[in-house]
Amino acid sequence: MTTLQQGPEITEETIPVWNGKLNIRVKVAGAGAPLLYLHPAAGLAWDPFLSHLAESYTVYAPEFPGTSVGDPYAIHAIDHLSDVVLLYEEIVRTLGLRKPVVVGQSFGGMLAAELASAFTELASRVVLLDPIGLWRDDHPVANWIATPPDKLPGLLFHDPGSPAAKAMLQMPEDADLAAAATAGLVWSFGSTGKFAWPVPDRGLRSRLYRLNAPVLLVWGRDDKLISSAYVEDWQHELSDSQAVVINDCGHIPQVEKLSETVAAVDRFLGNSPSAGA
Amino acid sequence: MKVTLFEQAPYRYLPDNFEKEHDSVCNTPYSLTTLDGVYSSIRDFMDELMTGARAGFDGLAVTEHGQSSYDMMPNPDLAASALAYMTEAEGLNVAIFPMGRSLGKAREPVRVAEEYALIDVLSGGRLVAGFPIGLHYDASINNGIPPIEIRPRFDENLELLLRAWQEQEPFVHNGRFIQYPEVNIWPRPLQNPPPVWITGIGNPRTMQMCLERNFGFNYLSWFGAKLTGKRIFDRFWDLADQVGVPRNPHRLGFLQTIAVAETDERAEQEYAKHLEYGFRKGLGSIPPQLLGLPGGIDIRGVQALVKDPGDFGLYYQMRSASFKDLVDAGVVICGSPATVREQTRDFCQQYGIGTLHAMLGFGSLPRDLAMKNIQLFAEEVAPYLRDLWADSEYPHHWWPQRLGGDPTPVTPGATATEGSPAGANGHAQSTRTAVAAR
Repeated sequence: MTTLQQGPEITEETIPVWNGKLNIRVKVAGAGAPLLYLHPAAGLAWDPFLSHLAESYTVYAPEFPGTSVGDPYAIHAIDHLSDVVLLYEEIVRTLGLRKPVVVGQSFGGMLAAELASAFTELASRVVLLDPIGLWRDDHPVANWIATPPDKLPGLLFHDPGSPAAKAMLQMPEDADLAAAATAGLVWSFGSTGKFAWPVPDRGLRSRLYRLNAPVLLVWGRDDKLISSAYVEDWQHELSDSQAVVINDCGHIPQVEKLSETVAAVDRFLGNSPSAGA
Repeated sequence: MKVTLFEQAPYRYLPDNFEKEHDSVCNTPYSLTTLDGVYSSIRDFMDELMTGARAGFDGLAVTEHGQSSYDMMPNPDLAASALAYMTEAEGLNVAIFPMGRSLGKAREPVRVAEEYALIDVLSGGRLVAGFPIGLHYDASINNGIPPIEIRPRFDENLELLLRAWQEQEPFVHNGRFIQYPEVNIWPRPLQNPPPVWITGIGNPRTMQMCLERNFGFNYLSWFGAKLTGKRIFDRFWDLADQVGVPRNPHRLGFLQTIAVAETDERAEQEYAKHLEYGFRKGLGSIPPQLLGLPGGIDIRGVQALVKDPGDFGLYYQMRSASFKDLVDAGVVICGSPATVREQTRDFCQQYGIGTLHAMLGFGSLPRDLAMKNIQLFAEEVAPYLRDLWADSEYPHHWWPQRLGGDPTPVTPGATATEGSPAGANGHAQSTRTAVAAR
């Protein structure tokens, strides 16, 4: 319980990959078996969900090329989604992670599924939080990259006025820091958008049958970015999956409904249920 | 000083309450149009440009905007090719200046090279080749390009296009964004090559590229030249000093919306509501997020714009801007020939502008008033501007030879993309273009 408030000690590693052309920053915290966390389109933000995971696992959270502070042009070093998948496999190998749990949120959920579909022995278990990557014409995925900033909270949260949502969207008061944070957020959307624009469908549906690790899908029932109707699509393609759909919850369940999310994840991973209660 | 007639092809009959009822001119329901309205908007646009050619303008300039009601011009080369032939057939020595095909948008860059080459041939060597990097919504939403790829794509496409114009032998293009097993276009331009101009709104990287690579630079002043002009043009000439090229006014083009009538009072009376239509139902109704999609503006540029949005001038108020707002901000110059002469000449002189693009058709302006504006400007204003740089020591290197220019080769230099891996130090890889030129 306590770590939800206090959080673990977080260290940062920088690992050279991609034949020396990329230096990927990885935030590391906790102890125990390895867990790889793949962040959403907005970039990596350490949150209470990750702190909770760090109670049971050593959490490794790499930053997508272009989203690291001070290294924006790394995004120009990688052009194809297939190369992104190879890059992340190299990150896992370079970090020495053996059969990690792979957790991904939204854009990171798509990456997690791509990675585990391409390298079928890589992940022990996979947790996907409102992942993108599939497309249905009857439930078009919202274009979060072209959404004006004042409309983003309403797109991301069931209740944008909730304290958790407000805390996540809070900008620094200092004008210089706020400008840097805004620019960083915008550039992160742009960098990850390279592999999701104009339609966030790069053919994952045809590859998902390869993903043979057990998968947990956690979805906000009121997700306005990508409808919870997609749960059935994922479950149809995956050989071993279960799903938890959380009521009164938007696109970011681990922020908007932390307790329900950690309970579902703990249950799936076989951890002590008390931690997330 | 060169003076072109610049026109867009807006749908001229949108309902009065359009900007209140609709979010954007980039997704306007086509059900708002009538067949006659569409036909006459385009027909009048072409007729007005031809009137300008006959009235003695130095150039005819048009732009590219897909899927938009404020400029129904998905490919400016279609209009430019018609103008090229018409003016050639009538013996009118006027530059044909598409401003033009966006190379950040283009998925078929060789086709762009071919279209421009054909226009140059049709016009007997009067093409001035404009290449905007690309409006974000046009490149990314209308054409599906990831915003972060607009500038890298522009860089690759421009190198390929310049090479396609000049290379004597067929060649293979193996690029990041496109591959061609053979490039060997027919026809090639008559000019070797046509002068190249880039349009920008103030990004210093784009200016630096133009200055280093010997491209002309066009600034379109729709945001309000009185608000933005000093900062943009000071930035441009400071960069010219840093790059080490002369402050030759001919390398700088400037677009100004202008409305001229017999008197100041009459000009306001006749043009005010059409100017308000033009900006409220045009630029003012392009939502800001569509002009700055994430990844399309360099991260440092975003940081600078968050802290100081001054480059955007009146843009954020434009949806409800009054005639007076537009005049006060310098979005438009409106008045008698004397008023327009004085204000335009002073502005161009102050900032070292060698090419004025006079936007004389706008918004809902009906055909007869547009024709009047064009004629009055040609007779009563343009003659008083042409001698502005007559005493200048500098030749015009960015204008066709047939029209009195003295074009000089494209040179190697900065690309449009910050942090691009395309070449060492972000410089264009291929120097072949420069070697091959002339």
